Amino acid sequence: MAVASAALDAQHHEPVDQLYAETRDMRLIGFLFFLFSDVVLFSSFIFAYLYLRNSGQGWPPQGVPRPDVALAALNSAILFGSGATMHYALENWKHGKFFRYAGFMIATIILGAMFLTGQVVEYTALYTKEHVTWGGSGIFGASFFTLTGMHGFHVLVGVFYLITLLLQSVHGVYSKDKYFGLTAGTLYWHFVDVIWVVLFSIFYLI
Amino acid sequence: MAVKQEAPVRVDRNFWIVTLVLALLSVAAVAYWMNAPVAKWLPAASDSAEDVDDLFRFMAASGSALMIYVLGYLLYFVIAFRAKKTDAPNAIGVQVHDNHTLEFWWTIVPAVFVVILSILSVKIWFGIQLQPSNGLVVEAIGHQWYYSFRAPGVNGEIPNEIHVPVNKQVTIDVTSTDVIHSFWIPQFRVKADMVPGLVNTIRFTPNTVGRYQIICAEFCGTQHGEMNKQYFVVDPPATFATWLKGWQIKNANVSDALPKAGSGAAIDLSKGVAASGQALFAQKCSSCHAIAAFDHKVVGPGLKGILSDPNHPNLVDGDPATAANIAVILQKGYTGPIGMMPNQSANGLSDGDIANLVAYLASLK
Amino acid sequence: MAVAAVHTSGGIADHIHPEPQGFIRRYVFSIDHKIIGIQYLITGFVFLVLAGLLAELIRVQLMNANGGFISPDTYNEIYTMHGSAMVWLVIIPIVTGGFGNFIFPLQLGARDVAFPWLNMLSFWMFPVAGLLLFSSFLLGAPVAGWTEYPPMSLQGGVGTSMWCVAIFLVGVSSTLTGMNFMVTILKMRAPGMTFTRMPLFVWAQLATAPLSMVATTALAAALAALFMERQFGIPFYDPARGGSPVLWQHMFWFYSHPAVYIMILPVFGIISEVLPTFARKPVFGYKLIAFSSVAIALAGFMVWAHHMFTSGLAPYLQLPFMILTFTIAVPTGVKIFSWMATLWGGKIHYTTALLFAVGFLALFTFGGVTGIFLAAVPFDLHAHGTYFIVGHFHYVLVGGSLMGIFAGMYYWFPKFSGRMLNETIGKWHFWLFFVGFNGTFLPMHWLGFLGMPRRVAEYDPQFQMWNRVESVSSFIMTFAILLFFINMFVSMRNGKKAGPNPWGGRTLEWMIPSPPHYYNFKNIPTVYALPYDFSEPLPYKGLEDELNDKPPAQLAGAHH
Repeated sequence: MAVASAALDAQHHEPVDQLYAETRDMRLIGFLFFLFSDVVLFSSFIFAYLYLRNSGQGWPPQGVPRPDVALAALNSAILFGSGATMHYALENWKHGKFFRYAGFMIATIILGAMFLTGQVVEYTALYTKEHVTWGGSGIFGASFFTLTGMHGFHVLVGVFYLITLLLQSVHGVYSKDKYFGLTAGTLYWHFVDVIWVVLFSIFYLI
Repeated sequence: MAVKQEAPVRVDRNFWIVTLVLALLSVAAVAYWMNAPVAKWLPAASDSAEDVDDLFRFMAASGSALMIYVLGYLLYFVIAFRAKKTDAPNAIGVQVHDNHTLEFWWTIVPAVFVVILSILSVKIWFGIQLQPSNGLVVEAIGHQWYYSFRAPGVNGEIPNEIHVPVNKQVTIDVTSTDVIHSFWIPQFRVKADMVPGLVNTIRFTPNTVGRYQIICAEFCGTQHGEMNKQYFVVDPPATFATWLKGWQIKNANVSDALPKAGSGAAIDLSKGVAASGQALFAQKCSSCHAIAAFDHKVVGPGLKGILSDPNHPNLVDGDPATAANIAVILQKGYTGPIGMMPNQSANGLSDGDIANLVAYLASLK
Repeated sequence: MAVAAVHTSGGIADHIHPEPQGFIRRYVFSIDHKIIGIQYLITGFVFLVLAGLLAELIRVQLMNANGGFISPDTYNEIYTMHGSAMVWLVIIPIVTGGFGNFIFPLQLGARDVAFPWLNMLSFWMFPVAGLLLFSSFLLGAPVAGWTEYPPMSLQGGVGTSMWCVAIFLVGVSSTLTGMNFMVTILKMRAPGMTFTRMPLFVWAQLATAPLSMVATTALAAALAALFMERQFGIPFYDPARGGSPVLWQHMFWFYSHPAVYIMILPVFGIISEVLPTFARKPVFGYKLIAFSSVAIALAGFMVWAHHMFTSGLAPYLQLPFMILTFTIAVPTGVKIFSWMATLWGGKIHYTTALLFAVGFLALFTFGGVTGIFLAAVPFDLHAHGTYFIVGHFHYVLVGGSLMGIFAGMYYWFPKFSGRMLNETIGKWHFWLFFVGFNGTFLPMHWLGFLGMPRRVAEYDPQFQMWNRVESVSSFIMTFAILLFFINMFVSMRNGKKAGPNPWGGRTLEWMIPSPPHYYNFKNIPTVYALPYDFSEPLPYKGLEDELNDKPPAQLAGAHH
């Protein structure tokens, strides 16, 4: 790589940027494909849930309460808020406003952590008050905890991902022109948001 | 580089000779298959089996015609257009890229074939899958590794073999108590998977008296290969009546007399006796329903609390779980999008039996 | 020379990785798509040997109607592992990971795939998964067939859980490979290589990659749920606990029907390369062949429930699935007719690769025809779960995919190794295989029709005679495959030197040395037209230095 780029530097004005631009496009498309297959993974479990839910056993099943909409709505608001702060973080980075960027990033991370806390509270309440468990509550426990748990895992990974990105940007890994990592992080976070919209609708609203 | 020598090939006389030969062969193949004695190889013992054979003959005829053309042309091309020793080493074939007329036709012809085949298949499919039931329903239940049966008016299960009358349509409701099995009788060209928790239906009219092997075609464990030792017996009507009566008497230890068909009128539930219902439940219901929570499914749901739990889900027909609604389903049966419940009057339960059963269900807290 | 140097843009096309040093970096944890391709091929062939031996155990057992060679339980383990291994460890990895990796970046004029490191990761999941799958024999292998229908698959030992993990791993590997190939084809084509100038093998990979990406992920979900249910008791499939066995069938076949196309589309690509080269003729109807691959791939997502006509699928759902399945016959027919027309008027050279390609056309067409039979619900209600279906899919997967793999091996082995495979052994291989194959699988159609169910360790004695014919034929087939392996071992050392282009091929991989340099091309060529016009000069510019000793400009540094 060193040899190649040295040779290229000799003959071109901005050889490195050309390479960056092309690889960025590739990484972007690759990342979108990754998110897409993640969508398929969620869709498959959502299909399983809707299939079981409509298999003639009534819903929610006997002995299981409807999940708490109020708590989930609050939690949703927190997650959607974090989507907005994430958006502003990236916009500020593009405009070179580092401190506002960092502020919004930290806000996003905190909101993400709050969402996870909300989920833990909800799980705990379901378990202690209603004795609803993953394996012991029939298809409700199976589909609810698997899907929301998968989503929660994605949020958890996202929080650590954003922390990593923040530290990287503090250490100067990204510049005003080259910030693919931040774009990917933002895409990932919005993806997690969108999945939640679907999960919220199918578990709490219908 | 020297100019390559392009082969001067046109569609020549040989091509048309080959085409003619292949056409004759195809006609012969079609003629053979359209009249192929399929029933000689494997007897067809119902009208719908003969329909399936017609479809098979049509597909085999068109398939073999296609194969004759494909194989024939392949052979001809490979021989006629082989590179010869006399060719220059860099000789090339005729440089055609496409031919829109040809491509149009070989897209349209298969498409038309698909339409014809669809129409034929759908027509036969209607006769097999959508014929209305005329009321004779028997049940087959798969176990590792045997079948058990239920017949109208017979309490409990019948082992070994099931009899039906000839020339009368029969509906077979199949299910399983453990893993997936299947219920296949080659002579009737029908098969249904026996899925635990689900009732699948086979319906046909046997037209030939005989004993037909029932074969499991869905892998079900160690002895799957041996699950073919039981028979579906098609009797003359009188023989069937005797056989049925024999089982009705043999198993008639629940109701006082032989069960008689229900009246069809609304049932008076006030005289139900839970204890009689319990005995009846063990005979008639327990192979499909457990006395357990609703989501404990054997074939149908668990029935504990069906009349005592105010939050109990609705019944299979969507009506709330009340005593009267349960009685109606028992009396008339129900088939709908989320499941089915066999008609228990046809299964030999009297109105009084149904009242006893409902009383028993109400006692389950 | 001025023209040749056109596009030194400084982009990815000019970017050459440093040459890997040492055995480990070069041949074990290599990131070179060609080495990875060969790793896939070798690993795939190792599993072909194992899965083939399992098949022979099956055939030995079935020599006698009452079995007796191995116990039914062992038999069940063996046919399950045979199916699982052939699908996930042999055919899919060889046609996508093997041929795909090695060939299509070369045909595209790329230096590597888009994400070489990810490519290496994908590969290494595959042998790990294979070992895991085969080691389940030690702990009680799965028995419920490669489809693993619950509740059967919920019973039994830990082997079935290992099966889940192993298939999940191959699935992730396949998904990542699909993404990698998609990005490569979308972004790394040589200048001038528009979509309608891509070789058909590349088109085939382009049609396959999204299938690997989407369908495999759906399978991953189904497997994860099965694993959770088995290990942690989470009820998804067990009806006794509220689950549904039919749910698994939907999720499984939503993957596994497209998987059939993952196994056959790349082979379509191989055939589309082999036929024009040896007929010395442009492939007939290039666009129709290319687009019909895509049409088949898309339609492949809409027909999964035709595997479930007897499962209790609502009757009104059976019709659309039946008719959509019939419809796939149209693009498939178009392809077969186009390939036949490619042979017409050619100058056909009887190489082993060509023989296998022609054999493919014959056998695959037959498999396609019986596929139509099974798509028709009324007939399927009779033939489902019988040996008819076993015969059908072996015609498609062995007569189709495996024949195509052999065609591809005889065609590209010189490019892989720099040496030719022996053509005499090759022709023995072909004829013995062709005869043995038909003897093994043709009688299955009538056995199934007459009443022999599949997956049985013993059967009705009336079928014994034909089963013996099948077993003996299968020994011939196995012997033919043995010849193939002998051929490879002998030719690798002692085969005739191949040179860059032994067949007179016109796609880009034949323009560079055999085996190619680690950077593939010294200069990325510019492409002007489709490669298949034998009467025209080669449609590439910038390839002047490929066959001489000059190092590429980027490595020559100041000497440029």
